[in-house]
Amino acid sequence: MNEPRLFQRNLIASWAGVIVVLLVWQVINALELVNPGIFPGPLQIADTALHRFPLADVLGHVRASMQRVIFGFLIGGSLGMVLGIASGWYRLLGKFLWGPIEILRPIPPLAWIPIALMWFGLGEQSKVFIISLGAFFPVITSTYSGMRRIDPMLFRAAQSVGLKGPRLLLKIAIPAALPDIAVGIRVGWSLSFGSLVAAEVLAANKGLGYMVMYGREVGEVEVIVYGIILIGLLNLLTDYLLYNVLFKRQLKWHFG
Amino acid sequence: MPSSSDGPRPTFGPRLARRARSFRVPDWVYGLAAVLFLLGLWEFAVAQEWISAFRFPPPSKLARTFEALLERGFPRGITTDVHLKATLQRILQGYSAAAVLAIPLGLFIGSSPYLDRASMPVITFARSVATISLLPLAVAWFGVGEFTRIFLIAYGCFWIILTNAVEAVKGVPRQYLFAAQSLGASPAQIFFRVMLPASLPRIFSGMRVALGMAFLVIIAAEMVGTITGLGALIMEARNFYRTDVTMVGMLFIAIIGFLLAHILGWLERILLPWVSDLEEVQR
Repeated sequence: MNEPRLFQRNLIASWAGVIVVLLVWQVINALELVNPGIFPGPLQIADTALHRFPLADVLGHVRASMQRVIFGFLIGGSLGMVLGIASGWYRLLGKFLWGPIEILRPIPPLAWIPIALMWFGLGEQSKVFIISLGAFFPVITSTYSGMRRIDPMLFRAAQSVGLKGPRLLLKIAIPAALPDIAVGIRVGWSLSFGSLVAAEVLAANKGLGYMVMYGREVGEVEVIVYGIILIGLLNLLTDYLLYNVLFKRQLKWHFG
Repeated sequence: MPSSSDGPRPTFGPRLARRARSFRVPDWVYGLAAVLFLLGLWEFAVAQEWISAFRFPPPSKLARTFEALLERGFPRGITTDVHLKATLQRILQGYSAAAVLAIPLGLFIGSSPYLDRASMPVITFARSVATISLLPLAVAWFGVGEFTRIFLIAYGCFWIILTNAVEAVKGVPRQYLFAAQSLGASPAQIFFRVMLPASLPRIFSGMRVALGMAFLVIIAAEMVGTITGLGALIMEARNFYRTDVTMVGMLFIAIIGFLLAHILGWLERILLPWVSDLEEVQR
């Protein structure tokens, strides 16, 4: 997995690529090699960002999207974690549960969109459902495999000092499985985020996906590109935060 | 759930040795039993009218729909094999376009530390852009035709394959290169005989993740502007309120998703037998 390493010591070298891309893009636009109406340049987009859309509107879309994705992610992620831990701990439950899970797991979250629309209608529920599916499967899979990969010696050592039952689970098993759970959480977050955008593109009246779709409907490509850039930045930022908090701070002992 | 006297116990432990000697029911039997039980419960719940047959068509109805989809198709005349072929064809086109472009570029970027550093922010950003958010832009550029869908698949796969190819080259141990140099190998020899074989495993694992991405993208991209393909099948069914068709379509998607996830794994074991264990990326 690639860590976002945007902030390096040698700033000029690491940003040279961005500058070159922006320059080439602007030159193509200025020379009108491609119709500027459908291929706006960086300056045009900056102009849209600064004047066409009030910041309050944009922040409203960002907030609507973030609320949805966090809500769905928390539902799907926590459900996945609880079921993953339970099925790793109670062997029998794991064996039973894994049948249905293996059947549903290969279905991408976005393939649930039509059925979600029929079950929950066009409202908020169906979006949250799809987003939570995005988090659920990676988290439950990695939690389960994390629980099953725990070094048996850890259990022997803990049992020999008299630890058992819930304390064995809380003090030994779950901490030992945490690195795997964290990886699942990160993958789950990125899938939740991807599903959010798709859900909003297909049906919403607020949010970044809607903003992009709106740009398409009024035929303003600048708005579309602006929305896409915001989505990318938000994804990058949240993943960076998640990575730093989860991997660098909480699980430093494992990931170093 | 185990009875309370059974108690929670770790998966591993002293019981393991004892149990191994006696006959054990294979794990999949339990999974299958759970699936059959749930299907039965579902059928029963619909029969008792606890849940609506419209929203949750019972398994018996789904079985008939399954047959009908294979014979008559949905929308009428477009049978499942047509949908399947359309989806797989799009995946193949977008995916191979991405691989053909990304692998050489990745090898090139990875072999130059300066280029690697300069391109890092651009690649990281492009990777972070959710592929589906490009759908409106692609429609504005290319219309709702076939090219839009292939473009989206290619975009999604390109950055995954590219980053993995870059990392693959960077991960080749320096000693290999020094050893080859001191043995008098030419640059071309070093590239084809040392660099490429040593970076193949990582490139392959990137290709595997990208295939999953391609599948994810195409299902969503087919929901707009077409009536062929598995994504179109389940979305069209929704437009006609055919929950049963959507569900059977999702079953097809699950089967194809499962096969796609495992095909490259099998291929890898055949083509790269020297790779014992690659870092798993879960999706």
